Amino acid sequence: MPPCQGGNHQLGALEAPPVKSRNTLHALTSAALVLPGLLIIPGHATGKDRINFQYSRYQEGERNLYGAPSLKPISADVLHGSGIFSLTDRTKFSFGYTQDTWSGATPVTTTPLATDGGNRPYFNNGVVVGASPLLQSNVLLDRDLNPIGRDPITKQSLGVVDTRSVMVMSSASPETRRQATFGLSHEWNEAAINVAGGFSRERDYKSSFGSIGGRLDFNQKLTSVKFNGGYTHSEIGAILDHDSSPYITKTAYLPQIVSRGGSEILQGNRQDWVANVGVSQVLSKNALVDLNIGYTHTNGFQENPYKTMSIIFIDPAELNNGQSDLITGKVRALIEQRPDIRNQVALNTKYIHYISPFNAALHLGYRLSVDDWGVNTHTFDANWVQPLGSGWTLTPRIRYYSQDAASFYRSYLFSQQVFQKQAVDNLGREIFFNPKNPNEQYFREGFFNYVDQNGNLIDDALSRELQAKFISFDAGKLPENFSSDHRLAGFGALSGGVVLSKMLAKGVALETGFEYYTRASSMQIGSGNNSFADFDYYVANAAIKFDIEPTTSLPMGGSSGSSQSHLHSSSHHHHKIPPAGIMFGHMLDKPGDFMMGYRFMYNWTGGNMMQGAHNVADQTIVDQGCSDASPCRFTPTFMNMRMHMLDIMYAPTKWMNVMLMPTFMDMDMNLRRLSGAPPPVPGVHEHTGAAGHETGAVGDTYFSSLVKLINIPGHRVHMNLGLSAPTGKVDIELRRMAKIDGGLIHFGMQLGSGTWDFMPSLTYTGEKSRWSWGTQLSGVKRLEEKNKSGYRLGDMFQATTWGGYDLTHWLTASVRGAYTLQGAVHRDFDVFNARIGPMDFPANYGGQFWDIGLGLNAIIPGGRFAGNRFGFEWIQPVRNDFNGFQLDRKGSLAATWSYQF
Amino acid sequence: MIKKMKLLFFIIPVLSLFATALLAEHLEQVSPSCALTTLDGKPAHDLQELKGKVVYMDFWASWCPPCVQSFPFLNQLDHDLKDKGLHVIGINLDEKISDAEDFLAKNPVDFSIVADPSKQCAKGLEVMAMPTSYLIDRKGNVRHIHQGFRPGESEELRALITQLVMEP
Amino acid sequence: MGIGGTGCVNIAPWERGNLAKPQMELDPHPLQSELQSHNYSSREAAPSHKSSSGGGGCGCY
Repeated sequence: MPPCQGGNHQLGALEAPPVKSRNTLHALTSAALVLPGLLIIPGHATGKDRINFQYSRYQEGERNLYGAPSLKPISADVLHGSGIFSLTDRTKFSFGYTQDTWSGATPVTTTPLATDGGNRPYFNNGVVVGASPLLQSNVLLDRDLNPIGRDPITKQSLGVVDTRSVMVMSSASPETRRQATFGLSHEWNEAAINVAGGFSRERDYKSSFGSIGGRLDFNQKLTSVKFNGGYTHSEIGAILDHDSSPYITKTAYLPQIVSRGGSEILQGNRQDWVANVGVSQVLSKNALVDLNIGYTHTNGFQENPYKTMSIIFIDPAELNNGQSDLITGKVRALIEQRPDIRNQVALNTKYIHYISPFNAALHLGYRLSVDDWGVNTHTFDANWVQPLGSGWTLTPRIRYYSQDAASFYRSYLFSQQVFQKQAVDNLGREIFFNPKNPNEQYFREGFFNYVDQNGNLIDDALSRELQAKFISFDAGKLPENFSSDHRLAGFGALSGGVVLSKMLAKGVALETGFEYYTRASSMQIGSGNNSFADFDYYVANAAIKFDIEPTTSLPMGGSSGSSQSHLHSSSHHHHKIPPAGIMFGHMLDKPGDFMMGYRFMYNWTGGNMMQGAHNVADQTIVDQGCSDASPCRFTPTFMNMRMHMLDIMYAPTKWMNVMLMPTFMDMDMNLRRLSGAPPPVPGVHEHTGAAGHETGAVGDTYFSSLVKLINIPGHRVHMNLGLSAPTGKVDIELRRMAKIDGGLIHFGMQLGSGTWDFMPSLTYTGEKSRWSWGTQLSGVKRLEEKNKSGYRLGDMFQATTWGGYDLTHWLTASVRGAYTLQGAVHRDFDVFNARIGPMDFPANYGGQFWDIGLGLNAIIPGGRFAGNRFGFEWIQPVRNDFNGFQLDRKGSLAATWSYQF
Repeated sequence: MIKKMKLLFFIIPVLSLFATALLAEHLEQVSPSCALTTLDGKPAHDLQELKGKVVYMDFWASWCPPCVQSFPFLNQLDHDLKDKGLHVIGINLDEKISDAEDFLAKNPVDFSIVADPSKQCAKGLEVMAMPTSYLIDRKGNVRHIHQGFRPGESEELRALITQLVMEP
Repeated sequence: MGIGGTGCVNIAPWERGNLAKPQMELDPHPLQSELQSHNYSSREAAPSHKSSSGGGGCGCY
């Protein structure tokens, strides 16, 4: 039979490369990230089931503000977990979860540097301590509309033309986005199909998406054709910044703005459809090529509702009055406007070549995209994947990107009309109206007299009520679409990075990556002119990956050294593990054993404010909850905390285990004004609007050694000597609002303790037939006097006892009681904190708590996923005795997964 | 699209019957040019010697993950049915023999491993996928060709082999 | 089925050893590329994975 023909040979599971079955997970997560313009680049499924955890940190550099002080640049912490599981030989299920928390300054608009607003510095005792974004300002212009420069700090006019532009930056408090994706794929011998879906949620944006795709192989898999289609629906509910909203012109969006909880919310929605078709072709023993073409159609609200266009309004009468003096342009901010429809086409090519002397692979890629907004882009990238032996792989990479500006991108606009002027009637009289009766019009005659519509003079009392009637600019004279979002400008970007990975024994791999990226308008193909918008960033990430090879359903008995698969412990006797809320509760038995786990805890507080063991009234909180100098004005309404922990445990010897537990925390809360609180005082921080606060990033990292003390059949005692490393931030700030600093967010929302802490515990567990029981004493002792923000958290002691009963051989139910004694915060912030409520004061932390836990532990007894353990526990507060004034505790949920290798 | 696939599903089994019949004689024709060697390169037993036994001939390579997955299964077969007349041969097709040797050092098996350096056996039998196994009955007819390997297929294969072994 | 017509190469199944190596996968580091494309699309307007509508939804910073 001649080759190169999809023939009449039997179809078999040809696993030879190049086009192995699509890496479902990659396809899914790609699909998940809001499909617009998705180009699926299918990778391999190496056929292995796996679980991955990844943490990444993104940090931008400062923008060029030409001397004005800079706000803290954007940074983001990203946590990601994903897994692929084979449900059958040919069907795989995959899921992914990503959470990112970002904070820092973003550009709101661009203005000429020469305005008297922009990034306006503010002073303390004559020293510049920061800059505020002023969106409305004036700019002096010569008769050719060139701006006359000002000193960026003092804003004094310098008298010479300065055509530079600058981005006006506004800081943002932390915000968190969460995304989950799911997928199912099925493989035939020379075809595959996959279905995926997911959703993404953050405070102002909700998105849901789905996709379906497939692949067909030809020529003994030398050729593969792939196709895919997806749809995304998104809803936007942007909470307009209370501070800047009065200075932003929103008339074009009034129908979409609703008022809720004291905030204005700009609503919109959008839909995206994506379709992709591609082909992969093996060219030789050492090379293959991959081509893709994709089309995206987007319909709906595509603006960034937080970004405005600066429009300089010039009075045409002044401009044309024949004189030569400088004119003043009024700079105003309008929410940007983008077309409702966008069509994008992208062509993606990839070439991979094996370089045999190095055993390396060179990946070259080129992507071209065009769209009807005028944004044409080119991307060139190259990766060199170099295995180094002993399981190490090093991959340096480089990427160059260039984009053309959108047709409606401008740094700012001029409009020859007055922004707003007083209405006059056909006799030239200014028009006024009575706000209590807006339909009545009045006219000014001379300097002081007002007449009504019939020409009659009105009395003084009424004339004091009158307000001028203004006519706003004609929006029809502005372009239909405009944006100064620097992401739509023309620019080039160069980035370089490296990935290092190491394969450890037992299918565990570690991976770390780093990349540095710089965006420069001069690097655009064809060269740009918006260097004021240049910035750079770096990203660093670390990941741990586990191969969970499915157990083959073979008859038992002496299977010879099973290649690379790990021995499954399904035949081991699993001793019972404590309820999910217990940490450091069990140890591994045999030297060389290795356990991996993930623990999630969700803690709720809310409802009433409490003092000691009783509800407390607002007025008492106001009077006693804070300090004499500053009574309480706000109190929390709820505060929820979520903690993600990765549990990595290893047994170097029979009697000792070591454990490493990195954690990631995120929290959110909201506040309300206390009734009876003193009224707002100028210059003092107020909480306004509907939105609360969120924080989220890496928490503290625990590491410890566990030592077996007693290990006899039915009874085990072990001791844990643990340390907590202060990797969680304790200096998270609230953003500056209304020219008042936010200060550090209160103790409870900081992400770590900030100090090295000692965490000892002693655990006893027993079991007999279907019963199990245990008790644990544990504590936390802070080892330092204070952390970098000046305080330290209180020490803690906990005693807990539980009993469990096996409902079946794989399911155990447990009941637990716990007593916790938590100390108050010691010392205090030595950095500014706004002190607006009880949560800002150290005495209102800690107390004694009595809880009951109800739990279920399950272990998968056999089959493909044998040995995986899951635990859930609901911890219900029974009695609380709070120090000072605190929000009631509502309970917490603990969920764990673990797997022993 | 669907129609085409349905047609394929019908055509292929029908064609495979013919293919098998064609190959049945093929084995006789292939043997002369097919020279199996040990991994070191010395000549190994040729196929004719195996008449009278049920032969499970598996073409594999060290870089092919399903091949690797099939080894525990093959080893098990060899243990269980060797006495009943099954002969399992793993024919290695690595282009670099050292790769195969490294692999076997880490994953030793008990069934016989040979190599096909000139690839004549593979070409003669028209191997089109990795791995491909050929089930040959006691009379030298190729009774089943299995392409690829997934753990879930081991039951079915084992049943087929046992049935062949039962034949006189 | 004529798609394979262009590169109608003759590569035997046993000659695919190099193509099978992990470094030759279309995406050898899927966790990294997912992260990269998220970062790029939050700063660039190309249709890679997210559009540049920024501010929300893509967690665009």
